[in-house]
Amino acid sequence: MEVMTHTGAAAGESDMAASEYLTFTLGSEEYAIDILKVQEIRGYEQPTLIANAPPFIKGVINLRGIIVPVVDLRIKFNLGKIEYTPFTVVIILNVARRVIGVVVDSVSDVISLTPAQIRPAPDFSGTFDTRYIQGLATQGTRMMIVTDIERMMTSADMELIDTAAA
Amino acid sequence: MAIDMTQFYQVFFEESEEHLAAMETLLLDLDIENPDSEQLNAIFRAAHSIKGSAGTFGFTDLAETTHILENLLDRIRKRELGLRADMVDAFLECGDLLRGMLDGHQGRGGVAPDAVEAICSRLRELSSGQSVAATPPPAVIADAVDQVPIAVEISGRRVFDIQFLPTEISAKGEGVANLLDELRAIGDLEILGQPDAEACNVGFWQLRLITEVPQESFSDQIDFIADHGAWRVVEDKSVAVNGTSAFGFFKDQPGVPDEHRGYGFFTSVAGEPLSDLTEAIGKIVEDDSYGFFDPLPAVASAVEEVAMAEEGDGYGFFAPLPVAVAALTPEPVMAEEGDGYGFFAPITPPLTEAPPVAMAEPSLPAPIVQAAPVAMEKPTVPPVRAAKAAAPSAVAADSSIRVSIEKVDQLINLVGELVITQSMLLQTATQLQDSAPERLIHGLAQLERNTRDLQESVMSIRMMPISFVFSRFPRVVRDLSGKLGKQVEIKTTGETTELDKSLIERITDPLTHLIRNSLDHGIETPEKRVAAGKSPVGTITLKAYHQGGNIVIEVGDDGAGLPRDKILAKAREKGLPASDQMTDQEVFSLIFEAGFSTADQVTDVSGRGVGMDVVRRNIQSMGGRVEIESIFGVGTRMTVRLPLTLAILDGMSVAVGDQTYILPLSYVIESLQPETGDIKTLSNQARVIQVRGEYLPVVVLHEVFNIKSSFIDFTQGIMVVLDADGAKAALFVDTLVGQHQVVIKSLEANYRRVPGVSGATIMGDGHVAMILDVSAIAGMAKSNMQKAG
Repeated sequence: MEVMTHTGAAAGESDMAASEYLTFTLGSEEYAIDILKVQEIRGYEQPTLIANAPPFIKGVINLRGIIVPVVDLRIKFNLGKIEYTPFTVVIILNVARRVIGVVVDSVSDVISLTPAQIRPAPDFSGTFDTRYIQGLATQGTRMMIVTDIERMMTSADMELIDTAAA
Repeated sequence: MAIDMTQFYQVFFEESEEHLAAMETLLLDLDIENPDSEQLNAIFRAAHSIKGSAGTFGFTDLAETTHILENLLDRIRKRELGLRADMVDAFLECGDLLRGMLDGHQGRGGVAPDAVEAICSRLRELSSGQSVAATPPPAVIADAVDQVPIAVEISGRRVFDIQFLPTEISAKGEGVANLLDELRAIGDLEILGQPDAEACNVGFWQLRLITEVPQESFSDQIDFIADHGAWRVVEDKSVAVNGTSAFGFFKDQPGVPDEHRGYGFFTSVAGEPLSDLTEAIGKIVEDDSYGFFDPLPAVASAVEEVAMAEEGDGYGFFAPLPVAVAALTPEPVMAEEGDGYGFFAPITPPLTEAPPVAMAEPSLPAPIVQAAPVAMEKPTVPPVRAAKAAAPSAVAADSSIRVSIEKVDQLINLVGELVITQSMLLQTATQLQDSAPERLIHGLAQLERNTRDLQESVMSIRMMPISFVFSRFPRVVRDLSGKLGKQVEIKTTGETTELDKSLIERITDPLTHLIRNSLDHGIETPEKRVAAGKSPVGTITLKAYHQGGNIVIEVGDDGAGLPRDKILAKAREKGLPASDQMTDQEVFSLIFEAGFSTADQVTDVSGRGVGMDVVRRNIQSMGGRVEIESIFGVGTRMTVRLPLTLAILDGMSVAVGDQTYILPLSYVIESLQPETGDIKTLSNQARVIQVRGEYLPVVVLHEVFNIKSSFIDFTQGIMVVLDADGAKAALFVDTLVGQHQVVIKSLEANYRRVPGVSGATIMGDGHVAMILDVSAIAGMAKSNMQKAG
């Protein structure tokens, strides 16, 4: 509850607008995404390869009759060890009227953040484009990267959507 | 009483379209010299049904035009007029106009009013044409009975029968009185029927107005007063013309006991049952003269007692045969007839009782149930009656329901899931082997059979006979051959062959184009045909049949055939790759190239070279292909092969490394295991393999898709020879796995297009497999060759 003291007076009004975020880890980093974009979380299963797809697109899986592409964000962002264990998790996202699966190391928990708790991120260069970062949030010693997952998934970088369609 | 009719509009539109289509087919089938009376009746019924429902739903323009059409049809049907070819033309044209009006009401386009006027007057001319003198009295009766007076002006003064049901407010206020005053101001007004004074003008009014002004000038006022469009104005010719015996009868005031003069008119035909009618009956007789508009609320309430009488004169009117009346004795049946009339009228002025029956049901359920039996019990009923009865009986007998296509598709999807789940279960059970209880295995086997059956029947919902497409071609051929001055006959076989609805919709345009092409370029003019020793009448043959998992549609003609030399010359002129060594098939395929035409002159039918390429593209996009066979001077045959459905594909599964791919079976010609030395290279890049004397480019799937293969050596794998619309290629894969029917799933819904892949499917084990796009893969081979060459 350090957060509360941290945000101080602003807490009263911004509590109203608090939204819930799902946090997950990629390597040693922790990310938070809007929980309303998450359809479900499931275990990793070997997807079917897509010919000539970039390496971070693992392939497609059958999600109850729907063909869903799976993206490994660890490969995309060069984070952590790329290994698939029984604990590897796929977050099924529902963004831009599409269903997309995202492989992450693990899912941590669901937290509630008010806009005031999300601080602007400093500019930094790297594979992770700051355009997709809404800001940074802290809880105790944890720092979470609050990500605009919809924007990220629909971006040309992800190569998930036909440029014509996008 | 107010029922929102709009909710039924869609049904009306669909039904009318169907009636129009049926009418057209029948018209085209008619033998003009010796028309079959069954067919004439059927045409009449179709027109009558459209008129009836159009009137009910308040589409007066439709109702009026159909009405004129129906009049003429009726006279032909009764052999008062002989059928002539120009009549059929007029009918067809009228059908087109009606279709245009329907479209207009649905907010798509519309029809120019003068076109309607033109066809109406043409029909009237045809109808009055040679038969003015011959018009026998029965015809007048028929007109009156039908409430189908022909709208003709008599010395500028016209007679209108006006019926309306005022709203309570306007009736109790000054509304009705004002209306009557206004009408009196424009012509002679007679009040034929009005509600009881105690009811404060609430109830049904019948007026007759003789005036010089057109209907439009006063119909608005009536509309304003009337309750939810419960009004009708009919121009009455029969009254205007003779105005004597029939008129006298109609004029009788309601409630006044009917005089024998009036009965005299009927007794002669109706016989005994009418003679002992009571006062109440007299009133009904009066009402009945207005046929089915009949409105008096009193009738509805007093149905029981009046039924008999009403029945009697109903038939007296409609059925001149006393036999018919006698046959009608069962009481409930009659009662029902009675309410039928009395009840519906106030809603709107329906011309036929069929659609309102359903709506009125809540208040009077019993009669409706009996509607159909009535129709069937009376074979002796004359045609007019029968035609009316046909509508309700059709409603009762027609056990089909209309379901939106989305619902069906959803069902198909769900069943697809079920099939997958079922095969997953089965696979799991077989893995358990001995440890699985026998009953489980049995149950699963049962489940498998059931799901297959279920899938089959669900898929069949979407299947429609190809006659839906074929039925429109006789018309196309008829119109076009007339325009081109050719004599062409069309023969169709295999109309019952079924294929998926979505394919039906998409095949229509390409097929129409092929037929137009055959007509324009294939079939020669009668003179040329005679000179060539053929019958002057050309034949276009349309044939549909199943072959394997495909449906094959053939469009054949016995025309001039394709000129090979001319095509080759033209191809060279256009800079297309052409050589004398090409096979006929290859040469003929050139006509599918964009902008290709050998026509010496461009007509408005074809010859611009636009179209055949579109035809081929459309057919290919449906997963089909088109082939041409032709013998110069003898004829041409175009063969279109289509998959039965777009949702399911017959596939061959092949494995490369740990991946499974599906090849559409229709593209697979053969597969073979290459031997050492079979594969040659060109410029050390492109590989070819010799199969049956032909060098085919080799596409190595694991190279194209950049995946690991278990084999490096070609001799260990399998070559699958593919034929994608003439472009052949050999695809190298690791092994053949099997043959499946697969449900096609879109990859683009959540991902994007992948080159070389046309879709995905879910295999029995729940895994996703890609369906290969054979045309694209053959194209890859081509580009490889070009790079190398």
